[in-house]
Amino acid sequence: MDTNVPVIGIQNLTRRYGRHDAVDGLSLTVRRGKCYGFFGRNGAGKTTTIKCLLNLLRPNSGTVRVFGLDPQKHETTVKARLTYVPDQVAFYPWMTVGETLEYLASFRAHWNRDTEADLLRRFQLDPSKKTQGLSKGQRTQLALIGAICPGPELLVLDEPTSGLDPIVRREFIETVIGAYQSGDPEQRTVFVSTHLISEFEGLIDEFTIIDQGRELLTMESDAARNRFKKIRARFSQETKLGLNGALRVKQGGRELEVLADGNSDKLLSEIKAHQPEELKVEALSLEEIFVVSDVLKKSNA
Amino acid sequence: MTEDNSMLLQIDFKSGSPVYLQLVDQIRYAAASGGLRAGEPLPSIRALAEELRVNRNTIARAYEELERQGITESIPGKGCFLNESQSPYTKTARQKILIKKIDEAVVTAHHLQAGREEFLSLAGDRLNFFERKLKGKDNPKN
Repeated sequence: MDTNVPVIGIQNLTRRYGRHDAVDGLSLTVRRGKCYGFFGRNGAGKTTTIKCLLNLLRPNSGTVRVFGLDPQKHETTVKARLTYVPDQVAFYPWMTVGETLEYLASFRAHWNRDTEADLLRRFQLDPSKKTQGLSKGQRTQLALIGAICPGPELLVLDEPTSGLDPIVRREFIETVIGAYQSGDPEQRTVFVSTHLISEFEGLIDEFTIIDQGRELLTMESDAARNRFKKIRARFSQETKLGLNGALRVKQGGRELEVLADGNSDKLLSEIKAHQPEELKVEALSLEEIFVVSDVLKKSNA
Repeated sequence: MTEDNSMLLQIDFKSGSPVYLQLVDQIRYAAASGGLRAGEPLPSIRALAEELRVNRNTIARAYEELERQGITESIPGKGCFLNESQSPYTKTARQKILIKKIDEAVVTAHHLQAGREEFLSLAGDRLNFFERKLKGKDNPKN
């Protein structure tokens, strides 16, 4: 297995619905062993992109590669090596939890029975219960067990935790970290689309923010938190500052809030020159970076 | 997933410092301040990753860095243990702890409008006070 081939490679992907460009020239690369976040508002093109990875949709133009393979030509090979948890999971209602897992396992070359038993216990899912009686949270848990037990090289999650209660969400993420990443983490790649970013913050190595089908920002998480800073200051009297190059400035009376994009040192020295009473600098979390990314769009334009 | 020797590690995404380095610093701090003793194991990568909800690669990277710095030693199949030997980093780590405390005092002094002379003189007084106290008790403890 060639470890240099990216697990996901997307080049200039475009996919239209009628005249509407759902995805418009998107490129991104997911390296082996990474957890990659795919952030965007509803309708930004996240699910369309994921469906192109799984050959559920065909691109209008551009190339999509999964494990270096074209999912249109090598659909079974690609699908044998990945699993997918969609935002809406559905099972055959007449099957029990145990039968559903049995059914899913029948399509797979490998199925980890110990993990299955562990997770059923952890989620307190009764194998003899019919799937039609499951809550939304339990359905997602069942889908997650089904996605983890084959031990896939790639786990694709599309808005996996939206609509779930906080405890189920937390357990979901702990399970991805614990059960999925166990064994050889180098062989475990995660691609997760979400707008509940703060919960996944510690998990995400690298991310792309997508907006109206286009890439807005791609960065490693640590580098992003180092680049975007929020500076808050209070002065003893009303003070007007130039603050050229700030991403955004909010000023009200003696209070000042500045967003810095890689230039916090320069902005800080300008603020310090006016001797603030109080000065605080903090990194933006990934969620805050996502929220301010529309400012970025304007400054790029 | 509870570990006996939970070191109360915490990640602060707002610090802007890489997550693995935050862990390295906190474990070095725990080692230097006695929160973690020689021969004691670090939590397993999986347990710590789940607890902090942080990628396992990040924990693994922090543990590799600690080993590279000579703070810990990994024993295959058993886990990571704090080294017996005094590493050359311990002094730096100790100074870092001390600097943090001194900084707090300096900030307090500034707020209370105590000048440099007054601060240094008070610090000298306190050092003398504790030295006298130790001598008085004839306590050979270092």
